[in-house]
Amino acid sequence: MPLKREQIVESLKNIVGENHVVTDEQVLKESSVDRFRRFEAYHGVYRLPLPAAVVYVNSTDDVAAVIKFANQNTINVVPRTGHSATEGGLETALENSVVVDASGMNQILDIDTYNMQATVQCGASLQELDDRLREQGYTTGHSPQSKPLAQLGGLVATRSIGQFSTLYGGIEDMVVGLEAVFPDGGITRIKNVPRRAAGPDIRHVIIGNEGMLCFITEVTVKIFRYFPENNQFLGYTLDNMKTGFEILREVMVNGYRPSVARLYDPEDGSYHFSHFAENKCVLIFVAEGVKPIADATATAIEDIVARYDECVKVDPRLIEKWFAHLNWDPANLAAEKAEIMETRNVCNTTEISAAWGLINDIYEVCMQRVRNEIPDLTLLGGHSSHSYLNGTNLYFVYFYNVVDCKPEEELTKYHLAIKKIIVEETIKAGGSMCHHHGVGKHRTHWIEQEYGSSYYILRKLKSAFDPNNIMNMGTIIPLEK
Amino acid sequence: MNILVCFKTVPDLEMLDDQDWVIDKNHQIDTSFLKPSLDIYDESALEIALTLLDASEKVKVPIELNALTIDGPGATPVLKTLKALRFKRVVRIDSQDDLRFKPRAIASVLTQYVRKQAPQDVLLLGRQTSVSENAKTHLLTAEMLGWPCITQVAGIELVDRSHLTVTSQVDEAWLQQRIQTPCVLSVGDAPNTYMRVPTLKDRMHHGKRPVETLSIGDFQLPEETEKLIDLEVTRHARPGILIQGETPEKKARKLYEVYLKERLQLL
Repeated sequence: MPLKREQIVESLKNIVGENHVVTDEQVLKESSVDRFRRFEAYHGVYRLPLPAAVVYVNSTDDVAAVIKFANQNTINVVPRTGHSATEGGLETALENSVVVDASGMNQILDIDTYNMQATVQCGASLQELDDRLREQGYTTGHSPQSKPLAQLGGLVATRSIGQFSTLYGGIEDMVVGLEAVFPDGGITRIKNVPRRAAGPDIRHVIIGNEGMLCFITEVTVKIFRYFPENNQFLGYTLDNMKTGFEILREVMVNGYRPSVARLYDPEDGSYHFSHFAENKCVLIFVAEGVKPIADATATAIEDIVARYDECVKVDPRLIEKWFAHLNWDPANLAAEKAEIMETRNVCNTTEISAAWGLINDIYEVCMQRVRNEIPDLTLLGGHSSHSYLNGTNLYFVYFYNVVDCKPEEELTKYHLAIKKIIVEETIKAGGSMCHHHGVGKHRTHWIEQEYGSSYYILRKLKSAFDPNNIMNMGTIIPLEK
Repeated sequence: MNILVCFKTVPDLEMLDDQDWVIDKNHQIDTSFLKPSLDIYDESALEIALTLLDASEKVKVPIELNALTIDGPGATPVLKTLKALRFKRVVRIDSQDDLRFKPRAIASVLTQYVRKQAPQDVLLLGRQTSVSENAKTHLLTAEMLGWPCITQVAGIELVDRSHLTVTSQVDEAWLQQRIQTPCVLSVGDAPNTYMRVPTLKDRMHHGKRPVETLSIGDFQLPEETEKLIDLEVTRHARPGILIQGETPEKKARKLYEVYLKERLQLL
């Protein structure tokens, strides 16, 4: 017999102490959603089941005790650290869920500059870790736009990627070892070694699990030497996305690794760069590292771009200055809220990836369909911001005026309708529907198509590690009706 | 009723780092690598004007919204946006001159434009820009036109073809008065005035019309009575203390005991 809400709360208080269990209604409301439903939340509309409580844990043992209790009583657990998720991964889909907040587990445990790795608790702030490292001449190399907000546990759980990924990789390339709590309360540690061939790489069961298999409590990441004095910024305007993709490809297949390789289409480009590139595509590179490598990378990129007549070089300071103000901190969030409430003009995004041979076709068909099928758009654009040897990503950016609908209808009328077009066209073409935000709860509809025959492995992971279905239900794998 | 909103695009000075504040021999700070955006007071003025246009049908007072800036081609994206938002006549008076500290010259150009080229009933301006902060242009323009001027305007409502109800801030109070046009209204801190965003369809339908461009040379500029002699960067940095402590609780305790307790007792 399921526990009643009051019994859950009482039990949680007995486990972690009264002061660590919050049942304030406003806190519960805000903890039932993430940034995916921010338009509704700004209007005070909360439609999902409110969690029974938010539990603020302070140790791995706390996490283990809470999850073990939830497992024994079949209570849905939503793991949370920085609360900056954008795809509904932190939504409480089931009645009487428990949100387990580990933002208090924020200690930087060890910075080991000889072995080039840093170990932190899951609630450690990425900004704080990177600031601390940079003071000593090192960096995580990880810089998502949410850097001032996000914490390491959530970044690993969602397979985050940063703006310098082309050199440093995504978070999956940075994680050395982990500690995590599984639903039976068992604490698992994966040791920190440079590489091993001792069976499958089980780090990847945990990285990107979005809280649906386990709770990440500690992370060890690689660190890198930091040479900002050698950074070289390059920027170009050009006429066609297709040319831009070709240039990005050429840079990558020739083995160059700029930390940043970005291509903006004219709409997205005008939003950021109207002062020098109105109605133009914009290509951006940053070369960094030790001076010989940074110089060689920049020179090689300049040589490649020079072969394309339509590219016009711009003042590097335009790029450097823009980059310095790209990240979002709490002040940006507050300003966004104020602006949305007054203008009802909302921005959302969907990110996908595909091989070089597919990416331009996906870009064109998605742009055409969204433009033709979705009303009230005020901006529709896209950019590629993370490139690989075999392909790149596309980050579709769209603003729309919310017209003639209630706050609770906004997602269906606009964001989800656009997402549907982009996801379906991407999967149809052979790309991936998620590049770096995670699946969350609103792309689960297409998860079987995304995985194809390998969906079997994903299902088996869920049933093996979470047999009682208590971990962030409805995330990655859809709820069964 | 013809309403002319005079606006300016300005660089976002918040994006300048300390080392960027270098004053050259022409008394300029290089902001060429910053994206310009609408001055915040001018943005409020434009949105207030659009709100009047929204209300015009209801009160059956036809309104023609016009916009004007004295600027280089960098202002073009904003001008196109205003076209898309149904501003009828959108004019850029092309000037590469340094007009930062010449409110008399700007007021003179605006006056000549209104008198000789496009008669208006209302001139709506932001109170000042972040670049030169003269806060004089509206007053000088009103003086030259011989029109009344209300400052610190936060809201306007249409009454009839020649009257407006204007809400403005006076010290700590709000003043509401019925004004006969023509008049100059200077917009100050106006709540809820982020400028709306035109849709892509609006841009297609209305935004493609060409922006009217005039030359500053077509206007007679008054003899300069003021001359910029020097600029100096003022630093507002204040010393800070990082409170050390093992836990947030210990830091909060120290903050309270050492820095707040005594002050709070004085309240």
